[in-house]
Amino acid sequence: MEMIIGGAFQGKLEYARRQYPGREFLDGKECSLEMIKEADGVYDFQEWIRKEMKEELETGKSLRESKEQVQKKAQELIRENPDLIIISNEIGYGIVPLDAFDREFREATGRICTCLAENASRVIRVIMGIGTVIKGD
Amino acid sequence: MLIVVTGGSGSGKSAYAEERICRLFKETEKRGELLYIATMFPYDQESFARIERHQKMRAGKGFRTVECYRDLASLEIPEGSCILLECMSNLVANEMFQENGAKENTVSQVITGVEHLLERAAHVCIVTNEIFSEELPYAGDTRRYQEYLGGVNCALGKRADQVVEVVYGIGIFQKGEQDEDFVEQF
Repeated sequence: MEMIIGGAFQGKLEYARRQYPGREFLDGKECSLEMIKEADGVYDFQEWIRKEMKEELETGKSLRESKEQVQKKAQELIRENPDLIIISNEIGYGIVPLDAFDREFREATGRICTCLAENASRVIRVIMGIGTVIKGD
Repeated sequence: MLIVVTGGSGSGKSAYAEERICRLFKETEKRGELLYIATMFPYDQESFARIERHQKMRAGKGFRTVECYRDLASLEIPEGSCILLECMSNLVANEMFQENGAKENTVSQVITGVEHLLERAAHVCIVTNEIFSEELPYAGDTRRYQEYLGGVNCALGKRADQVVEVVYGIGIFQKGEQDEDFVEQF
């Protein structure tokens, strides 16, 4: 598994397409877990987390349970799609949001990406279109 | 030695900081005490849940926990201790907004407190927070909070031997050098 992370509008997807020509990247907000399990790559992965948390909430789970459920789903990717390339926005660098969902979503994204990064062979952080390898070669 | 650990929300800062200070404590052959200075004032269910999560993470590592919501300089610190202070963002908020807090003198009060810890301790590790990459539409308390925490962080950055930004569990050195031995084992 490889990860490309960074702030919004930093050219992460373009960077990924340059780095991995021929790979197809799916839009996170329109993907199911099953689709990501089969994909080469996924972008806006944080939007997948947001969508999944909302879906879990709609089944009557609490915010905390929803977060934990999505964390478990994300862990399945480590086992079932070890060649996946994940592109995700870093969203934890602002003021703590007032809204409870926004707070949980922000934290869930951090925890999930920390867990994925631990299992990734390479993590690249992109700022202004420039990638820096922060883990791996 | 002063190590400052920073990062975003859910980035794995705490786990990293705990590991660093525990390692330093072992290296000093446990001469002083291993202290955890907890600064989060519990005011609602969410903060209790956060505190509980951190207590579980620390359990069994040998920390003595001291709660300190404001006025770091008044804490009694045993000579030669290894200290983990978590988190600067809470301490600054408490000094700014609590009734007996330092208010507009927050930055200098906090830095005096840190100097007090450094005078007594063998090693200090401080966890702080990156909350600055957001443009706020209006001035006010939140803006001032960014200003004060930013001021504290800059002062800490000057004083620190190491500044480590933790990104999804990965330590990036902004100041000082990485101990290769630590990378392998963390």
